Amino acid sequence: MEKRTAMTHTGKSSRHSAHRKLGGPLMPLAHFGAWLYVLLLLSPLYYILISSQKTNIEIFRNPVSPVGSAGIGNYIAAVDYANLGQAVFNSAYITVGAEVLTLLLAVPAAYGLSRASGRLSLFIERIFALGFLIPGFAALMPTALLAISLGLFQTREFFILFLPATALPLTVILLVQAMRAIPKELEESAVLDGASTLEILWFIFMPLTMPTIVLVAIVDFLNFWNEYFFTLVIGGVQVEVRTIQVALPTLTSAMNSQFGILAAGIVVSLVPVYAVYALTARRMEEALIAGAVKG
Amino acid sequence: MPDAAAIVRPRSARPSRRPRGRQLSVMLLTAPALAWFAAFMVGPLVALFYFSLLDWPSLLAPSRFIGLGNFARMIDDPLIHQAAFNSALQVGIVVPTMLVISFMLGYYLSLMPPGHKVMRAALFTPVLLSASAQAMVFVGVFSPMGLVNATLRWLGLGMFVTPWLSSGGTAMACIIAVGIWSAVSLSTLMFATRIANISPEVMEASELDGCGHWSKMWRIAAPISWEFAGVVGMLQFLWVLFGSATLVLLLTRGGPGNSTATLAFLVYDVSFNRDQVGYGQAVAVVLFIVGVAGMIGIRTLFRART
Repeated sequence: MEKRTAMTHTGKSSRHSAHRKLGGPLMPLAHFGAWLYVLLLLSPLYYILISSQKTNIEIFRNPVSPVGSAGIGNYIAAVDYANLGQAVFNSAYITVGAEVLTLLLAVPAAYGLSRASGRLSLFIERIFALGFLIPGFAALMPTALLAISLGLFQTREFFILFLPATALPLTVILLVQAMRAIPKELEESAVLDGASTLEILWFIFMPLTMPTIVLVAIVDFLNFWNEYFFTLVIGGVQVEVRTIQVALPTLTSAMNSQFGILAAGIVVSLVPVYAVYALTARRMEEALIAGAVKG
Repeated sequence: MPDAAAIVRPRSARPSRRPRGRQLSVMLLTAPALAWFAAFMVGPLVALFYFSLLDWPSLLAPSRFIGLGNFARMIDDPLIHQAAFNSALQVGIVVPTMLVISFMLGYYLSLMPPGHKVMRAALFTPVLLSASAQAMVFVGVFSPMGLVNATLRWLGLGMFVTPWLSSGGTAMACIIAVGIWSAVSLSTLMFATRIANISPEVMEASELDGCGHWSKMWRIAAPISWEFAGVVGMLQFLWVLFGSATLVLLLTRGGPGNSTATLAFLVYDVSFNRDQVGYGQAVAVVLFIVGVAGMIGIRTLFRART
């Protein structure tokens, strides 16, 4: 009986029947397990959010209650103590600078590779493809020495120069894929009209691949903004240079286990990322999955 | 959806009949990016292998070439043994656990159960956390008066209350738990995308054969996503292996004792806090080789059975 119903449905609404049918003895268990993970995922974040406006005593006495009396006191203390304003500025400066440089390097390179043929271009493409499988973390110390030899140790400018190199492989590969899809005829007719290489890039390729450019820009934004270890070791903890990621952990030692203040600091550090997420939610989800799958 | 395999071996470009001059100008466009990549990524990596052959106490001190002396020293160093064991334990638990959980969750999500949009959004939340913000969140969660102990007291399980990060028996377990916590979210979304792409006909055919979700998940979706699981596993392997540096530094500083030191953490700690720059670079070389070998291993493992 059931088989027959399924048969009649096939063809008419095949896509829905296959994916939407929820049943079976294990399904309640699946619902439970999935939502349990969501609970485990969100409860630490909820805990941070509510703790950020509570005093230490309130956090200890009523850890799960959302009621607190510290108001924005913790936020003011966190921002004041760790100079979070300056830190956010430093992060923004590095992120924007590195982002601009990444695109300046990657867009022409991807254009070149997508149009070229022959062994050399294949070889270059393979270098970039292998590039994002290279664990760059191992080169922490040599990179610090590079910064010293450039006279850029403990400066923000070093990261504007360095971070694009870490992002180039993925950025170039994703852009090459997008640019390959552009039909050759478009370019050929532009050449006949006397357009130069750069004009073709600017007027034809960039507008047509804008969705991919936005996508890689989002992936790179997240990676640059969230970079921690290299900025800690090479940038250092001085207030004028340190990024928000480096400034945040200084709240633990300094505030003498005033957890509410640390929590407020965490929230402040997350605001820019979640603001970008709120604006570009779907693109960002797409970007993260694409970035991960292709990394 | 193109996967890493397709990228590592790009399909050959079409032959073109463009004049040489144009071809050259196009190649010039890639030169700056290549130079950048060589200077900031390849250069330091090559230098790393040379530095690992030096006896070099600190950045300001003179260095001396000692060949493979640093590597010979590692063989008898109990600190390295401990770190290698911890890294192996961490990777060995996090990667398989995360693969199984996120594959099952991904399958569940691909069925579009009620509330799947909320679930998707929830899964994205931790993906946006930076390594340092994530570590700070768990400093609070595991602190003596933190969320875990509060929950235990609330459940009437007060006897299990413990300073999680500062007792030797639990600190490494916490680091591993955080690893699973953060790895599952993005991996689930990746699996959900992959499984949703399986053609509906395949799924329906199995339904006609009377397969329930459990057997559809393991007999149909799993073999189809097998190679994809290799890509996910490879990525998470790298993140866990190298990302442990931040997690360990901020949660335990390798302590208590050296019980939570991992190889990645030692690359930092030995070079900067124990004043043995050359030795630290030898550890980095080992870590690098472990990373590459593990990646190749996971790839072959997940390719062999298809």
